[in-house]
Amino acid sequence: MLKFLARGTALAAMIAASSLAHAETLKMWGPEQITEPLVAQLWNGIKADFEKANPGVTVEFMPPTGTISNGAVQAAIQSDAGPDVILTNSGIGRISVVKNAKQVMPLTDQYEKRGWKDKIYPWLYTELKGQFGGEIYEVPDGLDALGIWYHKDLFEQAGWKIPATWTEFEALMKSIGETGLQPIAIGPRTTGSAGHLFGNLLQSASGKDVIGKALRREIAWDDPSVAAGAIRLQKLVEAGYIKKEMAGLDLDGASRLWFNKRAAMFVAGPWFTANARKAGYDLANAGYAPMPSDIKGAAMPTGGVGWSWLVPVNSKQPELAMKWIDFMLSDAVMKKRAQDPASTMIYPREIPGVEPPTPVLKDIFAAAAGGVGYNPSVYLPGTVLDTYFQVIQGLISGQIGGEDGMKQLQAKMAEAK
Amino acid sequence: MVIPETPGSKIVAPLGDASAAAGHTGGLSARMSEGRTAGAALPEGSPNGDARTAFWLMAPALALYAVFTLLPIAATFWLSFNSSAGFNTSASFVGVGNYAKAAQDPIVWKSLVHTFLWLAYHVVMAGGLGLLLALAVSTLRITQVFFRTAFFLPHLVSLAVVGVIWANIYDPFFGLLNTALTRVGLGAFTQGWLSDPALVLFSVNVASSWQGFGLYMLLFIAGLQNIDHSLYDAAEVDGANAFQKLIYVTLPGLREVTTFVVSLAMINGLKGFATVFVMTNGGPFYQSELITTYIYRLAFQSQDHGLAAVLCILLSLLAIAITIVFNRWRARLSQ
Repeated sequence: MLKFLARGTALAAMIAASSLAHAETLKMWGPEQITEPLVAQLWNGIKADFEKANPGVTVEFMPPTGTISNGAVQAAIQSDAGPDVILTNSGIGRISVVKNAKQVMPLTDQYEKRGWKDKIYPWLYTELKGQFGGEIYEVPDGLDALGIWYHKDLFEQAGWKIPATWTEFEALMKSIGETGLQPIAIGPRTTGSAGHLFGNLLQSASGKDVIGKALRREIAWDDPSVAAGAIRLQKLVEAGYIKKEMAGLDLDGASRLWFNKRAAMFVAGPWFTANARKAGYDLANAGYAPMPSDIKGAAMPTGGVGWSWLVPVNSKQPELAMKWIDFMLSDAVMKKRAQDPASTMIYPREIPGVEPPTPVLKDIFAAAAGGVGYNPSVYLPGTVLDTYFQVIQGLISGQIGGEDGMKQLQAKMAEAK
Repeated sequence: MVIPETPGSKIVAPLGDASAAAGHTGGLSARMSEGRTAGAALPEGSPNGDARTAFWLMAPALALYAVFTLLPIAATFWLSFNSSAGFNTSASFVGVGNYAKAAQDPIVWKSLVHTFLWLAYHVVMAGGLGLLLALAVSTLRITQVFFRTAFFLPHLVSLAVVGVIWANIYDPFFGLLNTALTRVGLGAFTQGWLSDPALVLFSVNVASSWQGFGLYMLLFIAGLQNIDHSLYDAAEVDGANAFQKLIYVTLPGLREVTTFVVSLAMINGLKGFATVFVMTNGGPFYQSELITTYIYRLAFQSQDHGLAAVLCILLSLLAIAITIVFNRWRARLSQ
């Protein structure tokens, strides 16, 4: 009996030791809204599926406390106790910050080796290949399409509608302002929110081609054809359609203004559905339209790569991180996410037969089907972004004019590598 | 026992005789000395031997100090002469290039001015409020403990949380402050507290001072309790009114505490970061940028570690200069 017990104990110890030897933990910097129950439910499901497919692996979510824009991702990587794989806000401007600091791995080989190349839109792959001389450092998880969100009920009651031209749009803002409502809310203390409205205005005033040229440095940012959008923002502030006080608001503050129907419009992307849910806003009442423009074809959402997967150079589990990205790009996970009520974005490839979970997402997908323009927040070099966001704050708080602001931006662009 | 010579003293006497030499013929200290001499005699040593012992006793602390303080300072100094894009990037020597870049950067100068203003606001507002409340609370008898606790509570809240709370208080559309002003018929005084370039630094400092004043208040209360009450009695006999007692008795009696509070407030002021970072991130358009927030922006957002290191050196020099000036002022005050 004693012998039997001893053998049993030894066997159990061996099994335990063997499973310990294979036990691996993947630390993942998760989506921003992971503390929201609906989002957590989706991600916990994905985590469970991944763990089931990879016995002995545990996925540990690190609730994110910031982004590349505010330096939190860089600090987390630099700590050397950070994540093995990161999902964060992206775009060439932000990625260049962590790429230049050699904080993230190049993933170009993986695109070929693991077939990621065929799991994103071909145009998206071409764009990524062109950004850093052929080297790719991110795997897009979601695309952004920024446009005007409005309250359907308020607009119906007042007989308003989002017009097609800028001239009519100014008239609409005047009408809205006369009722005591704020025509447009913006929270420029949050960099993203500052860039969303400003990017829309730049494209509306100059068109996609001009902004594209400015981003490729084929045309200066203080050229009148580009500066028009900044002057447009200055005029909106001077006319009182955007209150100077809004320079003190962040994304939450500006969203609160919109959710409480104290503001008629707000510029945001599909991710705003998560904020709406959190605020208890009825998403069926949310309307979406691109920013009007007098330039033919310019009334389209702005956007670009919104969220991407990155692998830090000091990832303790790089191979597992690659497996995780494989898993996220699989048909099963992508479909699961796209159909889930927590879905908040446009996916990096077409997913046939998937019905968006909310009507406003359907509107956004329809508006983006014809393509999206440039949101400079994700395309400008990292060293220029800070000036870009501060200039927007300066314009809204009335400290600087549109032309001067764009001169400052151009000076920073000239310095940037 | 030979007591090593110290400047200004030439005492060479057995420890057992020390109390007698000082005029004490009995008492606890004398008995303790007797106990020490009656037992095993303390080893005699030369000044050099004592210094060696002291060195070895201090060695662990010195090693920690070297690793965690001196080495980072040296690394920062080295980094300030290099151009580095950050983590894992090999640095290239640029000489005083980063210093020249800093001198030409208008935001550096702006943040320097803001840092001085921030310091002044914090000393006056947090220190001043601490003094006023200490004077008020110390006159209370039954409710003193309650008010002390209540006023100290903000100090227990982290600066980041304070920043979030006050950002909401300042919200121009839903915030407590503007709403309250409007409700009491003072709508004309509502402001964009965090958007007005002339107000923003002050507004953020109010939040920071609100978090800090409780500690200063407690220090002042402790100082007030140490003032000899007979001085007030004497002042009353001389016919002094409350204001005169404050000017001629209380404030001079608080001189030591005041200098300590001012030094503490200056240190806290120089470290100003969290509330600005949370409430404005240095904006709008750099109007609340401090040296500390700009260092963070450069180091972690732009990954310009060389320039950030220059600003760290600048901040250290600033702290040293302020310390020297302050200490001289304090020495003059105590003469």
